[in-house]
Amino acid sequence: MRLIKCLKHAFGMVVHSKIRSWLTILGIVIGVASVIAIMSIGAGMQQSMTDQLGGLGGDILTLTAGSSSSTSMFGGGRFSSRTSSDVATDEEPLLERTDVQVLRAIPNIEAVDTQISGNVDVNYLGKSGSIRLTGVDQKVWARITLSKIKEGRMLDSADQNVVVIGGRLAESYFDKPIGINQMITIEENVFRVVGVLDDSSTNLYMPIQMAYQMLDDKENGVYDSIIIKIKDEEILNETLVKIEAKLMLVRHVTEKTKDFSISSSADLQQTRSEMLASMNAFLLAIAAVSLIVGAVGVANTMFTSVLEKTKQIGIMKAIGARNKDIMLIFLFNAALIGLVGGIIGIIFGVILSGVLPALMGETMILRSGTFVSIDSIIIALSVSVGIGILAGFVPAYQGSKLKPVDALRYE
Amino acid sequence: MEAIISFKDVSKTYQMGEVEVPALRGINVEIIKGDFVAIIGASGSGKSTMMNLIGCLDIPTKGKILLKSQDIAKLSESNLATLRGKTIGFVFQQYNLIQTMTAFENVILPLELQEVNDIFAKERAKKMLELVGLGDKMNYLPTQLSGGQQQRVSIARCFVANPEIILADEITGALDSVTGKEIMGILKKLWVEEGKTIIMVTHDLNLAKYAHRSIELKDGNIIRVGNNKKIRRGVAA
Repeated sequence: MRLIKCLKHAFGMVVHSKIRSWLTILGIVIGVASVIAIMSIGAGMQQSMTDQLGGLGGDILTLTAGSSSSTSMFGGGRFSSRTSSDVATDEEPLLERTDVQVLRAIPNIEAVDTQISGNVDVNYLGKSGSIRLTGVDQKVWARITLSKIKEGRMLDSADQNVVVIGGRLAESYFDKPIGINQMITIEENVFRVVGVLDDSSTNLYMPIQMAYQMLDDKENGVYDSIIIKIKDEEILNETLVKIEAKLMLVRHVTEKTKDFSISSSADLQQTRSEMLASMNAFLLAIAAVSLIVGAVGVANTMFTSVLEKTKQIGIMKAIGARNKDIMLIFLFNAALIGLVGGIIGIIFGVILSGVLPALMGETMILRSGTFVSIDSIIIALSVSVGIGILAGFVPAYQGSKLKPVDALRYE
Repeated sequence: MEAIISFKDVSKTYQMGEVEVPALRGINVEIIKGDFVAIIGASGSGKSTMMNLIGCLDIPTKGKILLKSQDIAKLSESNLATLRGKTIGFVFQQYNLIQTMTAFENVILPLELQEVNDIFAKERAKKMLELVGLGDKMNYLPTQLSGGQQQRVSIARCFVANPEIILADEITGALDSVTGKEIMGILKKLWVEEGKTIIMVTHDLNLAKYAHRSIELKDGNIIRVGNNKKIRRGVAA
C-alpha cells in the first residue's frame, strides 16, 4: 500500500475514534504546552538577566574578604570566612584602609568605593521595619553605583545625616510613601531622605561614617566589600592581575593562602547563568514527566485500538494487506496523534507563556517577559511526533504480526 | 486439466492447551482451474480449516498445499499477502466489511493494497458495485445497508481485484432464503461471466447444488467427491 493511502487510513482511524483520540491528544497537549511554557520562561529569565547584568558593564570589580573557594554564588565572600587549613592565621580576614590605599595607587583604577552593610530598625510615622542598610563612600558612590535616581539626588561628599532609599521602600514599604526631605528614624537617629532610587528595592544608603554608628558590630576602618571601577573595560584582566599581586603582597598571602576574592560582573553573570541552567533543567524534567504520561496515553490508546481493530486487521490481511501496511497505518495513527497534540500544545504553550508574566506578577526574573524560540517549537513538535511513534511502535508491531486466521476469528 | 490447488497428504492440528485437536487428517485433493466446488460437511468436519488453508490464511501442520504450483508453507509473509491479494478473493458469512468505511471504500481497498492506479481503481470499484446492483449506494456505510446488500458489497470487493480463485464461506448463512438465492444468483453469474474458480463452503446441501463438484468432509477426512453433471459453465442451476 502506498504511504499516502496508509496515512489516509490512519487519519480515518483518528476521525472514527474521536473521543479516545482527543483524550490521548489532550495528554500530549498538556506535556507540550508545559515544555513550551517552561522553555519560554527560561529564555525570558535569561533575557532578563542579560538586561540586568548587561548594564553592569565589565568595568566594575567587587573585592571581598575570604578565599575564592568559599566565595558565595553571587561572587562575594562577604558571608564567608576563611576555612582553608593552610591559612597562616585563624583570624577572620578583613578588608582595611591599607587595602584601599594599595588599590588607589594602581593607575588603572578610576575609583574605589568602600562599603559596609547590615540590617537596621527603621521607623517612619510610627511604623517600623528591619531594613538593609549599606554604608557607602559618598564621594565616589554616585559614580560607581548602577542605580539611577528617580527623585531628589545622590549622596555627596558634604552629607551627614541623610539617606538615599530604594523605590519600594519609598513607595509602599510603610503605610504612607516616604517623600524627599521627609525624616525617618534609623536606630533612634533621625535622617533626612535626599533621594529615591529608580528601582524596586527596599535598600537604604548613607555615608559610611554614619553607617558605622548605626551598625554596632562594624569596626571603623574595616569594610565588608570594596567596589572598584577601572578606567577601561579592555584592561580588566590586566588590572585584575595587578590588584591580586599588590593585595597578596600587602596582605602577606600567597596564591594558596589567598584570603580575598575579586569578582566581576562577568563572573556574576556566569554564576547566575549556571543557576538558571540548573533550574531550567529541573523544570524541564518536570515537563518531561507530563510528556511521558502523554506517551503512556498514546501507547494505551494504540494497544486498545489494535485490540479493537483485530478483526479489521484480519479482514485487511485476507484481502492482501502485508504486515508492513498494517504496521505503517498504526504508526501513522500514533504519529498523527503526536502531531496534532504537538501543534495544539504549541499554541497553548505560546498563549500560556504570554499570560504567565501577568499571572506571576512582575517578578525580577520575568521583567523581560517570556520568549518562545523557533528552536523550542521545532523541538516540541519533533518530540511529540517522536513520542507518538515510539509509544505506538509496540502496539503497531503486535497488530502487524497477528495471524490473519486468528484475527478474523476475533470477536 | 490444470490443477490450481493441490492438497497432498495435508493435516492440520490445533493445540488447545495441552490437547491436540486434529481438524484435517492427511487429505489429498485437487481443484481444477475454473471449477465451482462446494465443500460440504457437518459442523466441525474441517470445512473452515480447509478454506483457511486454501486461502493462505493458515499453513498446514503436515503435508503440502500447492497453490498455482507454489508450496504456500515456503512463501514469505509478504509473498503470501500478495498471493492473497492478487489470486484469492474472499466472501464471508458475516460479510466482514470494515464498518467505518463506505461501500465504495470497502470495495476499492484491495486495489489500494495492491497499489493499483487511482483512476483505474475508482472506475473498477464503481463498476463492481454497479454489477452487484449497488451503484446508487456507494457512499453508504455498512450499517446503512441490509444484510443482502452488505453481502453484495462483499462480493464486489471479492471480485474487484480480478482474483482467479473465489472462496465463499457460508455466504448465505446470515441471509433469508430469498436474499440467499439472489446472492447465489450473483455468484453464479460472475462464475459464468468471469470464468473464476469458485470454492464454496456450506453445510446446506441445497446450496451445494449450485456447484459443479462437491467435496464432502467428515471428522477431518474427505469421505466423498462428487460431480453434479447438470452444472456446467453457461447453464443455470
